[in-house]
Amino acid sequence: MLKIENLTKNFGKITALNNISLEINSGEFFGLLGPNGAGKTTLMNHLIGFLKADSGTITYNNKLVKFGDKQIKRKIGYVPQEIALYQELTAYQNLKIFGSLFKLSKKELSTNIDKALELVQLLDRKNSAVKEFSGGMKRRLNLAVSILQNPEVLLCDEPTVGVDPQSRNAIFEMLQQLNKQGITIIYTTHYMEEAERLCNKLAIIDNGQIVASGSLTDLLNTLDRKKTIKIIKTAETESLYDKLCEIAVVNVFDFKYEIIPNNEFQKDSQLYTYFEKIGLSSNLIEVSSASLEDVFLHLTGRRIRD
Amino acid sequence: MFKKDLIRFMNDKTAMMLTFIVPIVLIIIFGNIFGGNNTSRGKAHVIFVNKSNSEIAKLIEAKLDSSSNIQLIKKYRVEGTDSILSFTEAKAMEYVRTGKHAAAVVFPSDFLLDTSATMNIKFYYDPRNEIESSIIQGGIQQTIFSQLPEIFPALLARQADNFLGNTKANGFRNDMANMVSSYFNVPKDSILKFASTKITSGLLKQTSSDSTKNSFIENLINFDSEQLVGKDLKNPQVTRIVGGWAMMFLLFTLTGIATSLFEEKQEGTLRRLLCMPVTRTEILLSKYLFSLSTGIIQLMVLFVFSWAIFDVDIFTNFTNLLIVIIISASAAVSFGMIITSHATSLSQANGVATLLILVMSAVGGAWFPTFLFPDWLQVVAKFTLTYWSVEAFQQIMWRQAELSAISLNLLILIAVTVIFNLYAINRFNKGKIF
Repeated sequence: MLKIENLTKNFGKITALNNISLEINSGEFFGLLGPNGAGKTTLMNHLIGFLKADSGTITYNNKLVKFGDKQIKRKIGYVPQEIALYQELTAYQNLKIFGSLFKLSKKELSTNIDKALELVQLLDRKNSAVKEFSGGMKRRLNLAVSILQNPEVLLCDEPTVGVDPQSRNAIFEMLQQLNKQGITIIYTTHYMEEAERLCNKLAIIDNGQIVASGSLTDLLNTLDRKKTIKIIKTAETESLYDKLCEIAVVNVFDFKYEIIPNNEFQKDSQLYTYFEKIGLSSNLIEVSSASLEDVFLHLTGRRIRD
Repeated sequence: MFKKDLIRFMNDKTAMMLTFIVPIVLIIIFGNIFGGNNTSRGKAHVIFVNKSNSEIAKLIEAKLDSSSNIQLIKKYRVEGTDSILSFTEAKAMEYVRTGKHAAAVVFPSDFLLDTSATMNIKFYYDPRNEIESSIIQGGIQQTIFSQLPEIFPALLARQADNFLGNTKANGFRNDMANMVSSYFNVPKDSILKFASTKITSGLLKQTSSDSTKNSFIENLINFDSEQLVGKDLKNPQVTRIVGGWAMMFLLFTLTGIATSLFEEKQEGTLRRLLCMPVTRTEILLSKYLFSLSTGIIQLMVLFVFSWAIFDVDIFTNFTNLLIVIIISASAAVSFGMIITSHATSLSQANGVATLLILVMSAVGGAWFPTFLFPDWLQVVAKFTLTYWSVEAFQQIMWRQAELSAISLNLLILIAVTVIFNLYAINRFNKGKIF
């Protein structure tokens, strides 16, 4: 459906996208995961026709997407990172202004506005000024504006930034509902848990390059270990830091150490024997399943929120 | 805390510009206008026709030629040809009527007859710039008083003959010649030469007709003034300034709307629009059309208000006024677009716009008549939008001019509009602005 091939974009001496290739199929909930500044928004800007690539191509249903292509814009909805709404206007006025740009019939536009408002649960507030809305309501309206033309693809650029957990969940449910209706969703985020929860296919982007892509299972399979070991930071464990470093790479966080064992300590039994030997209490050890966070660490050598 | 404010201020280029550069530029302009830096003010240009055979008229003409505050215009180019002719009185009146010059001075054939005690000068003027008319009249009087003091004893003597009789007047002449010679260092003989005229009945009649004048000096130089334009205007003062002020506020309003693209960028709505099936040109044109409509409505409101409150006549030449309004508004919007297309942020756009609008208003004649400026600043004035627009408004409202009279103004404003907008659209389409 959407194919990106060898896309490169430079801003002066900075390479924002470096030879990126991706393929997104119809109906997928595709996650683009990466830290801030990795190139996610730049890639989005190319997909929506906001930026022109230095080289490479984007094709949609085998048709080349050109810079500013109006036909493609009718098929792609875009939920921006910021709340891109006219604050002094009402929700309905915002929807009508943006919706009218798709040249829908009056009736069709009216129907689509009502459907969008219903989806984001703002039908009863359609005549209220946006500036009177809470942050979560604005985010939902931001989403509603993006689906007025019944898009085939919806690009969501970190649509839950600064949103409270309740509103975030509501937005997730709305997006999942849209995906079930057949809309392909491309979702950028730097929250691993969001990507894990929503996306059935993922690409990890770092420094303008795709470092891995596939399903969650595919990505987790790139790890040697399927579990992560963390040790709670206390005075006792701090004194054992040097000894832990002898058998593992130790990543230090605010309240925990993360242990990535060396090759000779891959077996759990070897590891626990060592912990016992150096006097580490078992109640300070946490073991959990590997996550995307671990995949990212494994692939890039650093954590996503570094 | 002080250091914190200082660092923030130093990093805010717009605040620096508004705090230092804007006032400095305006002080330079005001200084030049009012002569604060000893630069010469521009000369007041006046058409000059000498129909008198009088030797004194020729002398005065020569002195006026070398005057530091008046520039005599004696010839004109016949339109559409290379031939240059001397002004006649009728041609001079036509030039004043059509606004090509503010005033004309004519020395008539009876400028100073052998027996008259008064110099007659015809003064045709357009009071659009009352100060300019006053400067011209004052300049002529000053030149005569300072450059040709010998004339006054002669005129005084003739008036003395008129009142005292010939015998007593001869004694008076001698006394006066001695006095003037001692105080003004003028040879006594030259004074007596001018003071030897006989009394005639014609002079008696003439002085009798001037007897209503209170000032003795006024009796010596008789300015026969005739206002050729704007006689019927009910409120000439407001009519004179309304165009200039309207244009200045128009520039502020429309530049504000154009730079609101930056606000849309900050709010993200511009990017959202760009993601929709509209082209960059369409976004810019819609902004342009909205600005233009706002500008036209703003100007209409200002002019209707000046009509309702100050009785400014806007209806006699309404169609032409509307055309100037539309073209001026178009040019003002394009000015906003060019600022927007070059600024990198909203604050920078606002800072540069404020500086340019104030300077253009001051230099372009929205605040003061441009003839008050030094010559070099009068040349600079012609590089501002304000100048061409204000001139067009004054022509339309002051002398109910036809479009042909302001065709150059309109052509320049249209050319500026087209060039600025094409440039801004080009930059916007290439994504160089946003």
